[in-house]
Amino acid sequence: MAKTIFKWDYSDYPGAKIYPHLFKPIQIGNLIIPNRIKYTATEENLNGLDGFVTDQGAAYLGERAKGVVGGLCFMQGVYMDEARMGQGYVGQAAAWDDKFIPGLKRLADAIHDARAVAGIQLMDCGRVGAVDVEYGHGPSAVPQRLRIFRPMKEMSKDEIKEMIQQHIDAAKRGVEAGFDVMEISGIVGYLVSNFVSGYTNRRTDEYGGDIRGRMQAVVEIIQGVKTVIPEDMPLGIRLCSEELLDDVRGNTPEESMESYKIAEEAGVDYISCTLGWQESIYPVISRDIPMGNWIHLAKRAKEHVSVPVSMAYRLFKPGLPNEKIGAGELDIWEMCRPMIADPLMPKKVLEGKEEEIRHCVACNLCLARLFRDAPMTCYINPICAHEANPEFAAPPPAEEEKEIMIVGAGPAGLECAYVAAQRGHEVHIYDKRDEIGGTLNEARHAPYGDDELWTCVEYQKVMCEKAGVNFHLGTEVTEEVIEDEMPDSVVLATGSVYSKLEVPGGDSDKIVYLADVMSGKAEVGEKVVVWGNRKPGIGCALHLAKQGKKVTLAGKDKTAGFDVNPSFKWRYMIYMRQNGIVAYNDCEIVEIDDAGIVVKTYDGYQWPIKCDTIVLADREPNESLKKAVQSEGIELFVVGDALIPRNLSSAVHDGYRIGMRI
Amino acid sequence: MPVDAEKEITRLWKALHSAQDEIGKTYYRWRQVALEFAGDDVKSLDVALRAAEVFGKDIGKSILPRMNWLKGEEGFMMILGKTLAGLWITDGGLATVEKGEDPGEIFIKCTRDPWPTWAKEFGVPMEEVAICRERMYQSILEDVSVFMNIPLKIELQKAIPRGHGETVMRLYKAE
Repeated sequence: MAKTIFKWDYSDYPGAKIYPHLFKPIQIGNLIIPNRIKYTATEENLNGLDGFVTDQGAAYLGERAKGVVGGLCFMQGVYMDEARMGQGYVGQAAAWDDKFIPGLKRLADAIHDARAVAGIQLMDCGRVGAVDVEYGHGPSAVPQRLRIFRPMKEMSKDEIKEMIQQHIDAAKRGVEAGFDVMEISGIVGYLVSNFVSGYTNRRTDEYGGDIRGRMQAVVEIIQGVKTVIPEDMPLGIRLCSEELLDDVRGNTPEESMESYKIAEEAGVDYISCTLGWQESIYPVISRDIPMGNWIHLAKRAKEHVSVPVSMAYRLFKPGLPNEKIGAGELDIWEMCRPMIADPLMPKKVLEGKEEEIRHCVACNLCLARLFRDAPMTCYINPICAHEANPEFAAPPPAEEEKEIMIVGAGPAGLECAYVAAQRGHEVHIYDKRDEIGGTLNEARHAPYGDDELWTCVEYQKVMCEKAGVNFHLGTEVTEEVIEDEMPDSVVLATGSVYSKLEVPGGDSDKIVYLADVMSGKAEVGEKVVVWGNRKPGIGCALHLAKQGKKVTLAGKDKTAGFDVNPSFKWRYMIYMRQNGIVAYNDCEIVEIDDAGIVVKTYDGYQWPIKCDTIVLADREPNESLKKAVQSEGIELFVVGDALIPRNLSSAVHDGYRIGMRI
Repeated sequence: MPVDAEKEITRLWKALHSAQDEIGKTYYRWRQVALEFAGDDVKSLDVALRAAEVFGKDIGKSILPRMNWLKGEEGFMMILGKTLAGLWITDGGLATVEKGEDPGEIFIKCTRDPWPTWAKEFGVPMEEVAICRERMYQSILEDVSVFMNIPLKIELQKAIPRGHGETVMRLYKAE
């Protein structure tokens, strides 16, 4: 008789009728899981540097536990060696000693408080570990491809046995802490995947050789862990279905599927289907990869094993996983980034409130932060990693209800508007355009997935409507309007203006604005210089290059895409190369004439660039109403690009913070 | 256009040549300091070879991200050969790559080598130049060999001490 931990009845929920396959139970091993949703183990760097769980970490996970509405919720992977060679993140939780059990229990309790199934993951980071020690460990000492990772030391047989025992001991601690499901991490370059891959495992003893030999350590971990966990505690493993390491002679897909079969034979109760390594040269999860791009791998995995198969990887919306589960091509919908962006995402699906979901925009800022030893944050969710701070996570009602005028219905203004309105203020948002969204209306036309950015505005619109925000679209706010309305507070979310070129020829009729180009209003010639080498300029340059134009990107910043996080920037650099875009960075325009422009590099070299169109993408704050508001003695706040031209994330975060402070 | 193209190009050339000069000078300054630390009992060639190893090891790490097996063994060897020749070209040399008879064999030929000139400036014996170049390339290949799991070798086949004529190195997969 399989065990049920919490009983859930979804029959009355609208989401269960729309997505019936997501909200039906599944048996994994001897445990019944009420639905098909899993928040997968995700590092967040919120724990202490000593590996102990913190209030922030517990609160972060507690929110995600509410989101899975009875499904699986995993804490992050724990490292298991006192020497910390397996530690891949400065704030990674530890489980190498019994002293960590109380902290782990806090996390299990936080998940159980939400009536969800609590999972713990065992994760030695192997090749990408040793974040704070001199050497990493692995089956073979294969040099690191990426210099940010530590040099490798080959493990002796005794060290392999010790590592296996560490997994077993950590599993015992997980059981004692009260978790319901145990999982082994074998993905993206962590230790288990290092053993499995022919790229990193060159051993000739029983832990190397063919795929069966390379799986031997994994088999011993699985069998060892099975001996110390209860019969009704399922054991799963995350394994690469495709390593995407063909360029360095990694495993073939056939070998990967063989590893799945061997894991099943060894006794795992489910397999999480993953792909790609941190060293892969192919993108896997960034916004330029279409949603659902990898789902066929789950189907293939199911053709090779009989245990349930779960999968994440660009499955941000419920429709496709529901369909695939219904078709028997997937068993469990996994996610991490969608629930970083909105912890309650599946709950909102269940409750029929999909329009209230704040969707992940696949920018990978969260990952970029983790790899640089910074705490988790989210591009689009200002509350992320602040869950332990009630004033931040759920701003209290305003002490004094005010009439607030927000000028500009872009992402910064909209975010501020609904947060302030939720706190009891009377909020009026104005925009001279007839539509909301500000410059995102144009920016979303950039290629490689930027249309997904618009989900932010859709979410904000719904939240504003629910909070009772008053919209005044098609209304330009002037000094007179401010004098007439005399609000208690004004929030300037007026965005930016394009910086004029104060050089000879700066009034040339070749000059057009980025927004007009992206909206198709401006005529653009065949040879184009985009002036401004941050994200908007890159998006515009790619947009034009896709139309077959010869594009040069030039700007003041030392590198193009200075404002794009490193985990996404590399994509843009490749796309710029592929589209033949030449970039001149760290330069200024010195003259514009009939033939084109002359740029001057930081060290004094001058280059002529022929062009028939110059697109202005370089911006400065639009401060046109600042003095008018100040002269009336009205409380003034400035958010988003009106403060400093930056990106969508800054707009959202600014808006939220001011919304909770007014 | 107000740009004086000749002037701008001349300035660029000067900057490039200065940068190339610095590569050689940095190596020989490094060698000089190492010799001073090592004392009188040490052979200067041993120190120079050690310096070449250290340089080679570091360069080897930096080329790992570019190693790619997708074009098979022949393609890989050609990319690697071009990478090594590229190092020479970056220094200011003229280097080309030719396929050998065997798919795992590449010849790197340098017809203009700036290293002897730099060596002369620092009073380094000319015999040292080619040997150190060979050692540096051998060190570069150490990590590449392990990384790609291919036993790679490189050997100097012909050297013209003063940089005239042609220097030839054979890159190959050891059996």
